[in-house]
Amino acid sequence: MRYAFFPGCSLHASAKECAMSANAVSKCLGIELVEIPEWNCCGSIDAVYAYNPFLSVSLSARNLAIAEKMGMDIVTLCSACFFTLSRASNILRENAEIKKRVAEVINDAGLKFEGGVKVRHYLDVLSNDVGVEEISRQVKVPLGGLRVAPYYGCLVVRPKVIQRFDDPEHPTSMDSVIEALGAEAVYYPDKTRCCGASLVITDESVMMEMAKGLLVTAKNMQADCLATLCPMCHLNLDAKQRDIESHFGVRFGLPVLYLTQLIGVAFGLDPKELGLNRNLVSPMKLLQKTKCG
Amino acid sequence: MKMPGGDKILDCIQCGVCAGSCHARFAMDYSPMQILKMVHLGLRREVLSSSTIWICASCYTCASRCPRSLDIPAIMSGLKNVAMRTNVPAPVALKPIFHRQFTEIIGRYGRMHEPELKMRLMKKTNPFEILQNASFGVRMFRKGKVRLRPSRIGSSTHFSEIFRNASNEERRR
Amino acid sequence: MTIPPSIGVYICHCGGNISDTVDVAKVKEAITKSHGVKICETYDYMCSKPGQDMIERDINEHKLNRVVVASCSPRMHLDTFRRAVKRARLNPYLLDMANIREQCSWVHDDKELATTKATAIIRGMVERARHLEPLEAKKIAVNRDVAVVGGGIAGILASIELADKGYKVYLIERSPSIGGRMAQLSKTFPTLDCSACILTPKMVYVSQHPNIEIIDMAEPIAVNGSPGNYSITVTIRPRYVDKERCISCGECARVCPVKKPSEHEEGLTQEKSIFLPFKQAVPNAYVIDRDLCLWFNKGVCRVCERFCKGKAIVFDQKEEIRELKVGAVVVCTGYQQLDPRLSKEIFGGLDLFGQYGFGLHPDVVTNLQFERLMLQGIHRPSSNNPPKKVAFALCVGSRMDQGVQYCCKIGCMNAIKQALLLLKAVPDAEPWIFYTDIRAHGKGYEEFYSNARAHNVKFIRGRVAEVVPNGDSLILRAEDTILSRQVEEEFDLVVLSPALLPNEGSAELSKMLGIDLGLDSFFLEKHHKLRPVDTKREGVYLAGCALGPKDIRETTIETMATASKVTTFLGKGELSVSPEIAHILPERCNACEECVKYCPTKAIESTPSGVVINSISCTGCGICVARCPTEAIDLKHSTDAQLIAQIQGTCTGEGDRPLIIAFLERTTAYGSADLAGQTRVSYAGSVRIIAVPSTGRVSLRHLLHAFASDADGVILIEGDDSPFQEDQVREHVNNMKKELGRFGVESLRVASTTTTLPQYDKVVNLFQTFHERISKMKRIPPEKRQKIAEALAGSGSA
Repeated sequence: MRYAFFPGCSLHASAKECAMSANAVSKCLGIELVEIPEWNCCGSIDAVYAYNPFLSVSLSARNLAIAEKMGMDIVTLCSACFFTLSRASNILRENAEIKKRVAEVINDAGLKFEGGVKVRHYLDVLSNDVGVEEISRQVKVPLGGLRVAPYYGCLVVRPKVIQRFDDPEHPTSMDSVIEALGAEAVYYPDKTRCCGASLVITDESVMMEMAKGLLVTAKNMQADCLATLCPMCHLNLDAKQRDIESHFGVRFGLPVLYLTQLIGVAFGLDPKELGLNRNLVSPMKLLQKTKCG
Repeated sequence: MKMPGGDKILDCIQCGVCAGSCHARFAMDYSPMQILKMVHLGLRREVLSSSTIWICASCYTCASRCPRSLDIPAIMSGLKNVAMRTNVPAPVALKPIFHRQFTEIIGRYGRMHEPELKMRLMKKTNPFEILQNASFGVRMFRKGKVRLRPSRIGSSTHFSEIFRNASNEERRR
Repeated sequence: MTIPPSIGVYICHCGGNISDTVDVAKVKEAITKSHGVKICETYDYMCSKPGQDMIERDINEHKLNRVVVASCSPRMHLDTFRRAVKRARLNPYLLDMANIREQCSWVHDDKELATTKATAIIRGMVERARHLEPLEAKKIAVNRDVAVVGGGIAGILASIELADKGYKVYLIERSPSIGGRMAQLSKTFPTLDCSACILTPKMVYVSQHPNIEIIDMAEPIAVNGSPGNYSITVTIRPRYVDKERCISCGECARVCPVKKPSEHEEGLTQEKSIFLPFKQAVPNAYVIDRDLCLWFNKGVCRVCERFCKGKAIVFDQKEEIRELKVGAVVVCTGYQQLDPRLSKEIFGGLDLFGQYGFGLHPDVVTNLQFERLMLQGIHRPSSNNPPKKVAFALCVGSRMDQGVQYCCKIGCMNAIKQALLLLKAVPDAEPWIFYTDIRAHGKGYEEFYSNARAHNVKFIRGRVAEVVPNGDSLILRAEDTILSRQVEEEFDLVVLSPALLPNEGSAELSKMLGIDLGLDSFFLEKHHKLRPVDTKREGVYLAGCALGPKDIRETTIETMATASKVTTFLGKGELSVSPEIAHILPERCNACEECVKYCPTKAIESTPSGVVINSISCTGCGICVARCPTEAIDLKHSTDAQLIAQIQGTCTGEGDRPLIIAFLERTTAYGSADLAGQTRVSYAGSVRIIAVPSTGRVSLRHLLHAFASDADGVILIEGDDSPFQEDQVREHVNNMKKELGRFGVESLRVASTTTTLPQYDKVVNLFQTFHERISKMKRIPPEKRQKIAEALAGSGSA
């Protein structure tokens, strides 16, 4: 299974552990993630899109065109990039005029966009191309009933333009993966509730209020940790957790792991390979408690 | 460029499911539903200076439940676009500055470079406000989550040309 | 034709309405010279008694065998003149009328042009008259029995209405008992009548009525025949219990080991795989669910048989097929509620109940389930305690692009009713109704709504965003759009108002019956305002929610209307059938069955002895005629010979002026042109109108004849309400235009449109603009016309 891999800006910096764990896990599962050469920023959900929407679509189109040259579908780990590339793909498909103008722009670099490339999320690949049985088969260290709150976030399941692979209100694909690892996917009513990631720089207090709600619910459901997909969500819930705690005067101490990190732990992979030491709220004590890692 | 979404504003039946679903509603002065009504009525000033359009996090909960399938986040983006192009001041000055600086950095490197973004924003607004995040920055740095040098695209890719042409495309029209 | 035609032509002055513009003397002179015209007279008022007497006298004296009256529109006096010739013992179909008033003298000012045109129109009619044949209207006996499909309140009341009037009714019901949805309701709005109390006496009345036969467990699988003489084949599923012997003691259910969710209780409680649908079921007998019964699945058990007091269990009962012969069919198939399974099936995998937490927590229920809870003694499904704080979420899946577009019509009133019933049962309860619009349209509804507000039912204007289970209770979020703030409240029970859809099997039934479904996928009535319970097929009627969601009162009113329509249709015991119908020319038919596909009234059938057109079902539209690839169908009173003769006759004229032939569908489009005349609107005199049953009857050959015979342009206009619809008209005309290209005739020389009756300005506008277009184009050169004529002669269809 080969895919054109679009990392996105976060994976090269603040969310390196997402890429690390994904690569490690992909090796075990026979997934080959071929990084799109010289990829550029996806075009942003809103930062560039609201400023200059045509530019945003053009940025997305450049990535789509390179992937088309590679002859493979795009897979991304970042939900925001997933949405942005899907949106652009949809706009180009439905609006002939914009398609023409974008084509003129990217043609300067010798790139063409025909629309044959699908944009998919890594969770989709895990659920539908690999399958839960295969994941279960490769589990060497079952996670011993670890209570995991599956946090999907918003853009992996929702807008119409994305390649829908799960229910927008009550998705279960990540739950199934978690269960396959021997952990317990806890009932988590906020599983698709927005964390406010896009507001982290400009409206930090609003974002913290939104993220706090998610952490409170997870605690109420007696989750041991949160599993997340998107690097933006992860930043909000993990890296910003201490700030949220001090801002509101509460204490969570709730580890937030990438789903791929969890899978890697269950596969018995080296924690360093999974970047577990990079999570700001350390998951180490938790993983030791459940006799894994 | 006419972005998708705006043509359906007249379809809105003002049911309120968008406002009821909105996770950022608590921080908005007008609800998303009200903004749609106000656009319909041409209340330009109120809409463009509302906090609502700047707070929308594009989570798409509203759009997925809207019985008229309105693309509300796209409409909010569009309104922000109008506000920025016509220089209507946002409730928080930082916001339009953020959009512009973000875009410029992408133009420079082809990819985001957070430290530079932070620095540019500090320069343009209140440096001390940004410094409040200093402890956060330090924590991130300690965990190796801060790239000191930007990740950039190679120059042979003609990326800058594409960026420049796409940026100016609108102006050329 | 062995006897040569002897035609009498009568040109009316119409008191100056015609003669002031048309030089009737000149016309008379020209027509008298026409071949086959025995006598040609003019008279002041042909429709007067002396005028009619003149015709009768001439028929006898001059042995006329064809009559053409050139006067006003046939829509005025066709019947008058037909009766006149009948009195003279001439077959009425041997008379025709030339419209030289509404479509000539009233719409042209130029006398010379009007005279030329009038002459041509009459000549066309004369040519047609030479080919007219005597025809007889048939009278056929009709079967006075009626089949009612669906045994809910609509079917029950329709059956009673008809049976009381003396008609025999077969009431066909799919489930084991009649009663439908009403049997599940507690009380009805706004009167708070007990639903079962008003329904069950009707059910008993039906079961005891000598004229009604209930056929339960039955569904139609085929419908054949024609209006007044239908044959419905129904399949009757076995209930594995002998209805006559079952005494409903319930012993079988007591000992049955298999449990299943109760259908009547909407899955809230369990029943056994042998069950009585509900206590007041009619027929009152048990039935075995074959899918769950251990005997049918594993070959064991049969305990019920041992304990059955009436020895009524019959495990080897077989499916039965019955053929019912009826004169009319009434469709009362009702509705079903949207549920998650149906939602995913119909709406591209989308579960529209997802945001409401339906299925995630037992205390999120539908309004129908709430009815059952009320009757069980109101309690939360999760415990047995009464609910205190109850939310009603309206429009679930309704008024949505992603779901159904239409309003369910009864959701608001139902919720208000349920809120009031809740307060009666639980005085300190707190009902909250979350709405987008409160629709309280019916009699007593607004007062009912006011009453609810007075009882402190909370109304929040905002469509519910989400319902999230939170341990024992439910958190509901919505925006209070009036106060402009988000509402987040905890509830014991949430009641949803799901969208209402047509019942399962509606699409198949509509195909069987040859009727249509509307855009909302409910059965389609013939006309929204004036024919609300008829369908496009004669003898097939609709009533109740099969047409669309509605309340019980409206259903009742509709069934009364439907029953009345049925009795009008069947009351005389016979139907008069027009002889102007299509028939197959067997020597040319190669049984390709193209015509079967296109007939809008399912009148054409493929039988072992060949393709047959049912003379009673055929409405004479002629769409099949043009579709037949071997020209094996002809249409009485609009035969090919008649039409071509009329075209050739109408295309005579002198001068260099362009000539346009307009084929108008004879009811609506023709009527619209008449209206233009009545309004005295002028248009170009180049346009000469020929009435056809439908423009679908006009084929390439007729256009070619027109162009060969001096026409420079052809217009086709169809009525908006015709079975030959706009997109079909366009396709038909485009195909003909393509073929015309082979003969070197430009496609610009053909135009078409559809029109409603009052849109005469649209018709006139087309005439004018087309005339201008054709005037700018040169007249078709004689060589080209000659070539076309040769081609027509060569194909043996001149």
